[in-house]
Amino acid sequence: MNRLVGVRPRSATAILLASAAGLFAFGWPLLYQTDQAGAAAIGHTSDAPWLFVLLLPLLVAVVLAELSEGGIDAKVIALLGMLAAVGAALRALGPGTAGLEPGFFLLVLAGRAFGAGFGFVLGAVSLLSGAMVSGGVGPWMPFQMFACAWVGCLAGLLPRATGWAETTMLSAYSLVAGIGYGMVMNLWFWPYATFGGALSFVPGDSLEENLHRYFLFFIATSLGWDVPRGILCALMVATLGRPVLAAFRRTARKAAFDTPVGFTEAPRG
Amino acid sequence: MRAVDNPTLPRALHPGAWWLWAIGLAVAASRTRNPVLLILLLAVTGFVVSARRSDAPWANSYAAFLRLGLVLIGVRVVLQALLSTRSQGSHVLFILPEVPLPDWASGVKLGGEVTAEAVLTAVYDGLQLATMLCCIGAANALASPRRLLKSLPGALYEVGVACVVALTFAPQLVTDARRIRAARRLRGRTNRGLQALRTTGMPILEGALDRSVELAAAMDSRGYGRTGHVPQLQRRITGALVLLGLFGVALGVYTLLTDAMDPLAAVGALAGGLLVSFAGLLAGHRRVARSRYRPDPWALPEWLVTASGAVAAGLTVIAAYAGVEGLVLPGPLTVPGVPLLPVVAILVGLLPAVAAPPLAPPVQAPRRTEVAVP
Amino acid sequence: MIEFDRVSVTYDGAPGPALREATFTVPEGELALVIGRTGSGKSTLLRAINGLVPHFTGGTLSGRVTVSGRDTREYRPRDLADVVGIVGQDPMAGFVTDTVEDELAYTMESLGIAPDVMRRRVEETLDLLGLADVRDRPLTALSGGQRQRTAIGAALTPHPAVLVLDEPTSALDPGAAEEVLAALQRLVHDLGVTVVMAEHRLERVVQYADRVIEVPGGSGPVQSGEPVRLMATAPVAPPVVQLGRLAGWSPLPLSVRDARRAAGALRTRLDGAVPLRAGMSTGTSTGTSLARCRDLVVRYDRTVALRGVTLEVTAGEVVALMGRNGAGKSTLLNALVGLVTPVSGAVDASGLTPVRTRPKDLVKAVGLVPQEPADLLYAATVRDECAQADADFRVADGTCRALLARLAPGIDDDTHPRDLSEGQRLCLALAVVLCGAPPLLLLDEPTRGLDYGAKQRLVEILRELTAAGHAVLLSTHDVELVAEVATRVVVLADGEVVADGETTAVVAGSPAFAPQVAKILAPLPFLTVGEVAAALGEAS
Repeated sequence: MNRLVGVRPRSATAILLASAAGLFAFGWPLLYQTDQAGAAAIGHTSDAPWLFVLLLPLLVAVVLAELSEGGIDAKVIALLGMLAAVGAALRALGPGTAGLEPGFFLLVLAGRAFGAGFGFVLGAVSLLSGAMVSGGVGPWMPFQMFACAWVGCLAGLLPRATGWAETTMLSAYSLVAGIGYGMVMNLWFWPYATFGGALSFVPGDSLEENLHRYFLFFIATSLGWDVPRGILCALMVATLGRPVLAAFRRTARKAAFDTPVGFTEAPRG
Repeated sequence: MRAVDNPTLPRALHPGAWWLWAIGLAVAASRTRNPVLLILLLAVTGFVVSARRSDAPWANSYAAFLRLGLVLIGVRVVLQALLSTRSQGSHVLFILPEVPLPDWASGVKLGGEVTAEAVLTAVYDGLQLATMLCCIGAANALASPRRLLKSLPGALYEVGVACVVALTFAPQLVTDARRIRAARRLRGRTNRGLQALRTTGMPILEGALDRSVELAAAMDSRGYGRTGHVPQLQRRITGALVLLGLFGVALGVYTLLTDAMDPLAAVGALAGGLLVSFAGLLAGHRRVARSRYRPDPWALPEWLVTASGAVAAGLTVIAAYAGVEGLVLPGPLTVPGVPLLPVVAILVGLLPAVAAPPLAPPVQAPRRTEVAVP
Repeated sequence: MIEFDRVSVTYDGAPGPALREATFTVPEGELALVIGRTGSGKSTLLRAINGLVPHFTGGTLSGRVTVSGRDTREYRPRDLADVVGIVGQDPMAGFVTDTVEDELAYTMESLGIAPDVMRRRVEETLDLLGLADVRDRPLTALSGGQRQRTAIGAALTPHPAVLVLDEPTSALDPGAAEEVLAALQRLVHDLGVTVVMAEHRLERVVQYADRVIEVPGGSGPVQSGEPVRLMATAPVAPPVVQLGRLAGWSPLPLSVRDARRAAGALRTRLDGAVPLRAGMSTGTSTGTSLARCRDLVVRYDRTVALRGVTLEVTAGEVVALMGRNGAGKSTLLNALVGLVTPVSGAVDASGLTPVRTRPKDLVKAVGLVPQEPADLLYAATVRDECAQADADFRVADGTCRALLARLAPGIDDDTHPRDLSEGQRLCLALAVVLCGAPPLLLLDEPTRGLDYGAKQRLVEILRELTAAGHAVLLSTHDVELVAEVATRVVVLADGEVVADGETTAVVAGSPAFAPQVAKILAPLPFLTVGEVAAALGEAS
């Protein structure tokens, strides 16, 4: 498979650093330590997510700028844009429920076919353009962009395989990714759901205890959204994975990504 | 005064100005839970949207965000007032039959008492979130996404082009999909579900992939990718700036949250890291030697709109710091007051309804000819 | 201006060269027409001019291509963007922005031209191509001709010396094609732009060409020279040239006007002869009625697409639906297969009501090949497609493959349907639809993108079908095809039937729908070169 967007050490470092910052921003309820208590802490906790909403777009922008630093070829950009358009079109046509994301499986397969760097940029671009197409750029967008970017990136880092082994591996990955995506995204509004000691967020408590509480919260509320999403994505990869990968291979051949260009002299006579 | 400084000259306002205004109002909303102030803010955003909205399809998103906000309030009420065991107060509205739950779900109760305090607290909390969402929705409805993509800094040019391509072709693909779905009938099939995805989705995907190669050839022929020469030293400096900035941001976020360092130092690391990486982002723009055709000007109306949002945010923040009464209600059952300073601040947010230029009159719609235009 | 010096192009992994030993020169300010069959290498030649071959497509180029003094070895396509503008067959596939004005400015932005210069040039180009009143319109709301002109304008704004066009008028109706060609004429004559274009529908363009470049494909080198000299022996030729060759006119006329001047003797010779239209049975059609519409009204939202259309198609007929874009031709075809629901009026196909019949029963009565044949195809290889078609129509295995072998022999089973040529893809779609052996066959714009050879093959297929008792209803802009194969012509305008009668009666005197032969030999009722040849054969 081709590696369309090269990830040099510099870009890889940038991605890791930004993702670390992003992860702290996502996971702030788990990390938050403070010696304040009571109302003041609650007051702070309602500020923190909005601070990170403002911070995260910049992080995403910096990472994308780093990845495109060496210049991205027209073929790769056109492919990126088209795949993002297909994802957006599928979303517009397919089941409209918020949890089910038909474009997800395309992200996994494209990341697999075209490399981790491509998957990363595709995740970010497809989410951004999908939101723009449907007119809904909201405060959750930077988090979603980061999460989708990582789904695409990790798909590109999966080990080599062919045939049924590849399809099975990708299906399993999509199931995990679908559920994991939900698990991470729920961190964003977990602190808002304050109900009861066992499930809600207690600022200042230790990491393990908050993690435990978060897990219960996740099972109680979002399993109904995320498990169907993961299962749908896995099903789509299982049934459509081979034709789609074949289509990608055909496009890679037609677009001549790595084909050598040669000039020779005309034969005499 | 230049012509573009005149607020009565019909043109499109720079999308960045709309977003800054909306963010300012959202910051103002985040400072208070007073329902009177929040509803006033909602009214302000709704008024500006109705005054300056265009006819484009994306301009309908304000209504969608409003609906989302209402759903959020409803969910909040259900979760907090009906399902939570946290004792909420003494005024009981009604009692539902209780369903006993096992011990491990000790935070949740089904049924039981429903107190007025609980419902009102949930409504006020949800209202704050809904108001902030509606501010973002107003920005969505007023700022054209394409013009926003045109204003991206040079370092993000390629990503911007990819987004523009996606925006351009997504509607075409939707039309193609409808046509292909209709063509299924021509082969005697009426597919449903996953089978339909295969017979409809695969042709769309393959068509899109073929089209992307054509598009790439066209872009290449039109000069995409002509980069000026950038010296190696400048590239290294940009890279170093970016990495340093990102490290500072990551460090600052972590220490701010976990209180590992003095909070002031943590904020300093965070802000410093942000500035440095931003500088690295801007420094990358010299690589692309492009010009801009008729860029959106940033003139007096843009300054006015941005300033109104900033003033609204600033005054509300100052009021919060000064402890003005009425921003935070002492208890859910008290009648909310109407503090003067925040009201003035929110009303300043109405300025764009007059300061932003009106839109150009709509282009004469063409007579619809052949519907199934290839 | 453009120099090709023994240029051969071999793509990576291809068995042989795609272009063989092309040597020619196109001086400045000429309009050069590139002719040749499908697959002969015309596109490769055009793309070699601006360096897309081999920089974009990969492969090996031997020889030298020089444009305006720049050698494509050193200059990649983006470096030649200020000298060569290229316009493809489908303008929508090359648009990157959303309004006409932004599209015109895009190339100049990439070249870094100053903003005031950009502004001036955009205004000039809008006037030059007649796009001033659509400048703010989104690109999806334009007609086909306007889109093509926008694509040409977008290629023109950086003031290139050379403009390369790959089949610019193939997807356009005659009116829009005239606009585009007139614009190109203006460019060549007033602005001195060198234009190189490839076209299948030579009847529209050959009269304007200053030079013809013939790409023969497998055999023989690329030839270039005076149009009159090359058209005398070219394998692809428009009807006026074929008539000239038949009648032995010298010098060979390339336009209808020149041919009329030379046709005096021929007209005298043919006076009084009655043309025998091939494939037509004499006498009134007494076959079974295969489709009937009575007072059909169809609406899309607020527009009325069809206002009370009454039409009947009987077995053995080939009915051509003509009319400008938006007249309702596609809507009528869609109504006959049940894709649109009529508001009032009756539609039936072999006694079935299309909207109320299940698709798998309806396809046994009427089959439609849509405008885009690829819409029907979704398998990954030709073999799979045929197997699927057999399963869909519940016929014996191998029916579809056998049909395809008869319609278009020589297609490899493992080819991807999208990799086939236009003509081959149309034949595959036809084979799929004919699997169910529907007595009525509908074709929507079948000749778009087909060269003369593929068109001739289509004519033969349609004649075989009608001889076997089928009926064909086709919607088309191609007047030459109508002249060849249609027994009846129905003209739609604004959703109503304006004319309905025998081909010669409807088409012969009409300025918009008359084929070249009819215009040359008016007032004699001859429509095709074949009829003239048959009449001459009888007369001698």
